[in-house]
Amino acid sequence: MNDSLTPSLAWVNGSDAPELTSVDLGFMALTDSASLIVAATQGFAQPYGLHINLHRQSSWANLRDKLVSGELHAAHSLYGLVYAVQLGLAGPAKHMAVLMGLNQNGQSINLSRSLQQAGVTTPDALDRRTHQSDSKLTFAQTFPTGNHALWLYYWLASQGIHPLRDVDSVVVPPPQMVEHLQAGRIDGFCVGEPWGASAVQQNLGFTLATSQAIWPDHPEKVLACSAEFAGQYPNTARALVMAVLEASRFIEESADNRRSTAQLLSAAEYVNAPVGAIESRLLGEYDDGLGNRWHDHHAIRFHGDGQVNMPWLSDGMWFMTQFRRWGLLREDPDYLGVARSVQQLGLYREAAEALGIAVPPSPMRSSQLIDGKIWDGSDPARYARSFKLHALADAALVHADR
Amino acid sequence: MLRILLINDTPKKVGRLKAALTEAGFEVIDESGLIIDLPARVQAVRPDVILIDTESPGRDVLEQVVLVTRDLPRPIVMFTDEHDPGVMRQAIKSGVSAYIVEGIHAQRLQPILDVAMARFESDQDLRAQLHARDQQLAERKRIETAKGLLMKMKQCNEEEAYTLMRRQAMSRQQKLIQVAEQIIAMSELLG
Repeated sequence: MNDSLTPSLAWVNGSDAPELTSVDLGFMALTDSASLIVAATQGFAQPYGLHINLHRQSSWANLRDKLVSGELHAAHSLYGLVYAVQLGLAGPAKHMAVLMGLNQNGQSINLSRSLQQAGVTTPDALDRRTHQSDSKLTFAQTFPTGNHALWLYYWLASQGIHPLRDVDSVVVPPPQMVEHLQAGRIDGFCVGEPWGASAVQQNLGFTLATSQAIWPDHPEKVLACSAEFAGQYPNTARALVMAVLEASRFIEESADNRRSTAQLLSAAEYVNAPVGAIESRLLGEYDDGLGNRWHDHHAIRFHGDGQVNMPWLSDGMWFMTQFRRWGLLREDPDYLGVARSVQQLGLYREAAEALGIAVPPSPMRSSQLIDGKIWDGSDPARYARSFKLHALADAALVHADR
Repeated sequence: MLRILLINDTPKKVGRLKAALTEAGFEVIDESGLIIDLPARVQAVRPDVILIDTESPGRDVLEQVVLVTRDLPRPIVMFTDEHDPGVMRQAIKSGVSAYIVEGIHAQRLQPILDVAMARFESDQDLRAQLHARDQQLAERKRIETAKGLLMKMKQCNEEEAYTLMRRQAMSRQQKLIQVAEQIIAMSELLG
């Protein structure tokens, strides 16, 4: 055919060829599924001898069930979902694998227009509303142990609102959030974009806080599979990581690429939302629905020269500290041991190095969150007990240092 | 219960297999002579497995097997008196899952059918994977061709050509392969 084809053909036929050439990949209708959809449709997998079949799922619970049963080989996943399955918090335990990070940032907490009309447009006003009124507000998140529950809890607690006592929480699949808000069944929600922007654009609500305001460059979605799959098909897993890494890099190469990504995502078979709702926040242009507009320096990102894609041990451990904080884990797990078994650092390193993407020397990173606390993975058990507001099962032993 | 299509390619009116199958508790849904269109019979009676009883499988038998394997794949078990390894290889190559020489005993039928079904399933998986691989390679070649044409047309390098194609595909909510086909078609039109 032509010369540039020959090396990749040789590679396909060589010993690194994927054991399984066709992969069933699940995703949810969210902006942060972008790198998977771009990888599957824009020819990023073929050079590795891999074909990606995309399967959109209707809820995180559904996606979890299919990932656990093996009907899906791999999926766009919540950190909180993967670790809950690993620890057996929501059903039977199964050993899981986080192959790579898919994105940082890009989620938001939004409140209804009726709360806005009642003057509840600031954290202080929400604090007063929750503590001075008899009726509890109802907030929706997307999965009982998921990231959005944990972002919502973290943010509310940082404002002095106890997420398990002062408000009610319900689970709603992301694409249905706006509809539930409109119907008045919920007062607010925490979800991935474009569903926050969609509520704002339809004048049904406003954005009270972005997830990046809680934790700038926080870990969000990951590419996950069962440990069994990663062990049985290591070449397939590595090829998949390489294809998605290249797609992630491509999306961030230029503003034009980000715009085209928004157009692709808006298609009925992917996110199925107007391109306007997807594009603005994908480009970092925020409008909170209260008249504030800004360019967000910690908007959603997919690559960040590999910073986003690295399966940091400290990222995985953080989710376990929050399970512990809110009483989902009655005892401290072996934070580091569990994270080491789930986060596939070795496989990620091989894939990233083959593409010339820098792999950070340490598997831990340090961040400061909205409440001023530093998380660097060094003492997870102490960190989990360090919060003033919590639901630790063994509360008598707590020494809150805040 | 397994639905069995029995093909009797022997001179006897009633083949030796029917009795053994019935004795072993199987349901023979249809018994035909060979002078048939096998894919049409498979289409009509939708058997779980096809048994062929033949003294020696000739070219026309194997041709029928090839057609079924291509169009309506099913586990095919062949019972025969033919010892020739060459004929056996031909039969396996045509798509026969199990080739049994002589000795039809009712008690041996179940394990033979089990092996044939298992063998068939693993063959099917392999075939599907190979098909997927062929398709990927074909797509990859078409995309490479389109990229080459675009590099010539736009006087750009390889990476720029890929980016142009991808941006075009994404803005139109299409796959890269679709845009590649459009570029190739346009280039053929313009000569």
